[in-house]
Amino acid sequence: MSVHFRLITMITVVFACLNLFAQLQVEVKDGAVAEYNMAVSPLAVLDGADAARAAEISSAVEKVLDITGYFKILDKRSFLEKPETAFNAVNFKSWLDVGANGLIKGTLKGKDDIELELAFFDVAKGKEVIKKKYSAKASLAKKSAYRFASEVIKLLTGEEMNFMFSKITFVEKKGDKYALVVTNFDGSGRKELYSTSKTILLPEWSADGQKIFFTSHEKNNPNLYSYDLKSSQIKTVSAYEGLNVSASAYPDNKTIALCLSKDGNSEIYSLDTTTNELKRLTVNSETDTAPSVSPNGQEVVFVSSRSGNPQIYRMSLSDLNKVERLTEQGNYNQDPEYSPDGKKVAFSGRDEKYQFDLFIIDLASRQISRITQNQGKNESPTFSPDSKIIGFSSNRSGKSKLFLSNVSGSRQIAVYSGEGEVLMPSWSPAETN
Amino acid sequence: MKQFFNFCAVAVFLFTMLCSCAGNPPKDERELAEKAFADAEGGKDCDRENYLAAEELLNQARAEINNKNYDKAKELFKAVKEKSDAIAKYYREHPDECMTEKDKKGNGEDDGKIKEEDTTSADSSAEPSLDPKNPDMDFQVVHFEYNQYAILEEDLQKVELMAQWMMNFPERVVRIEGHADERGSNDYNLSLGEKRALEVKNKLIQAGIDAARIKIVSYGEELPIDPASNEEAWFKNRRAEFKREN
Repeated sequence: MSVHFRLITMITVVFACLNLFAQLQVEVKDGAVAEYNMAVSPLAVLDGADAARAAEISSAVEKVLDITGYFKILDKRSFLEKPETAFNAVNFKSWLDVGANGLIKGTLKGKDDIELELAFFDVAKGKEVIKKKYSAKASLAKKSAYRFASEVIKLLTGEEMNFMFSKITFVEKKGDKYALVVTNFDGSGRKELYSTSKTILLPEWSADGQKIFFTSHEKNNPNLYSYDLKSSQIKTVSAYEGLNVSASAYPDNKTIALCLSKDGNSEIYSLDTTTNELKRLTVNSETDTAPSVSPNGQEVVFVSSRSGNPQIYRMSLSDLNKVERLTEQGNYNQDPEYSPDGKKVAFSGRDEKYQFDLFIIDLASRQISRITQNQGKNESPTFSPDSKIIGFSSNRSGKSKLFLSNVSGSRQIAVYSGEGEVLMPSWSPAETN
Repeated sequence: MKQFFNFCAVAVFLFTMLCSCAGNPPKDERELAEKAFADAEGGKDCDRENYLAAEELLNQARAEINNKNYDKAKELFKAVKEKSDAIAKYYREHPDECMTEKDKKGNGEDDGKIKEEDTTSADSSAEPSLDPKNPDMDFQVVHFEYNQYAILEEDLQKVELMAQWMMNFPERVVRIEGHADERGSNDYNLSLGEKRALEVKNKLIQAGIDAARIKIVSYGEELPIDPASNEEAWFKNRRAEFKREN
């Protein structure tokens, strides 16, 4: 009797645990993620819909889930159920058999005007959890799929993510030809804004996402320019003798922090781009550069070699004497970038193997976590507008490509590789419309 | 004694005569002509008559060099250059007309011809001039240690030589271009490259050169001499170069 009772207790406990897991859905433990197996079924293509577009939509959903690092995307070839199976006729047993915790399936109708229906099922519970119908022009198909993916992510992880609605700018360099490029977050939709053989360096978005600042030696001096995404016009922003580099936007959408060397060596200034009023922020005989303004506009992180080698510092913009050093380890820390939630600073640092890797400082705890290791040169970290994903350049597989990583570093994928080297990426602010 | 002087005067006179008759081979003119002719090759098909004429002139000029008729050769080389430049100009302005059938097809199939190129190393006897009295003195490259902007001890003399040259040619304005190796961020390397250029500039000022005659520009890690990723390449790339502004 007693043995029997214990057995029942154990079974109950096991079931309770399973149930708990099912409720938590995606479990994060010690920074590592308990894998949630997601099956994304190919869409059913109905009423003359474009099969290629349907494939693009399901792979867009997969890519978004994948890069968060919370999901393992199951191989479509193992699926037993046909895409055409109706939403109310899903055979959950067949999805359990392929190891799925969750299932996303959908239908696509229409060619120019589409009707996209997507549903997420909890396979263990055998239950439909979210179902949405999107009617839009075909050009908005992917965006509709992103909306759905962000809902699934919110439901399973509790996190609001909008990185999929934003863009990334970077420099593509081939030989001595430089191109200023913008793509969607996943490297798709490449658009070349400007090209020259006279360098394009350090592109950075304006606060409203309507302009991109960059430096070029076009006039044989590294001047700062802005590219207006609406009018395609290029304007000179700062052309002092010497360096005019590393723009970082204040939230007011008119002031930028930048590095100028007009007063003898690299110093950080703020520049009101409407009045051209300039204010010097650092005074130092060594290099101060690479400012990144905090999202509330009250602080700036930057690189300074005032201690003998480059380290990351943080300075209050209301009290310029309030300067603190954020990095103690290593002797070559650079490229600081504030996260849009203001809680973290990403940077690239040279490790004990003399390789450049990415790190994140949690500003509250001062804990530094490592994002990349033993995978080539990793530089120019940039946060997605939701602070969940980091974009960067890495030459781990030969030439430099655009990579994305979640903030724990557990999932890293290359999203864009062009003919040349992909350098100095910068993530746009959140989409405004 | 007087006789000796007379003898000397006559000897000097004769020697001068001899030189002015024979002169020296027109090295510069020849170089310019050969280069211009090579550049005009694109116009071989569309401006054939002039191209053949230039070729004929060039052959004559070369023959005159062999016959030591340097003055004649000099005139011919000048004519070659003039003709070649005209062909090149025509070629540039009429690219479609000048494109050969083969070009239009892209690098088409092997047509059985043998293409011969002279790949002998360039004449290394042309030593760089390090004479600060020479208006065309070759400028040297100053190197640096990793993440440093102090001029290497052994390179200080290069800057001193530059200062002497600038003293000798006070109308000249010089641009110092600072560079970094590929390691480190682009923005930091722009600052580092500038620190290096500035250090060299300050040395020139210390040597008495007017600051207004020295411009600096940093290219950071953008213009490596050697694109490889090793110590040897990095050393070559960490540098300051002198360029003439005028």
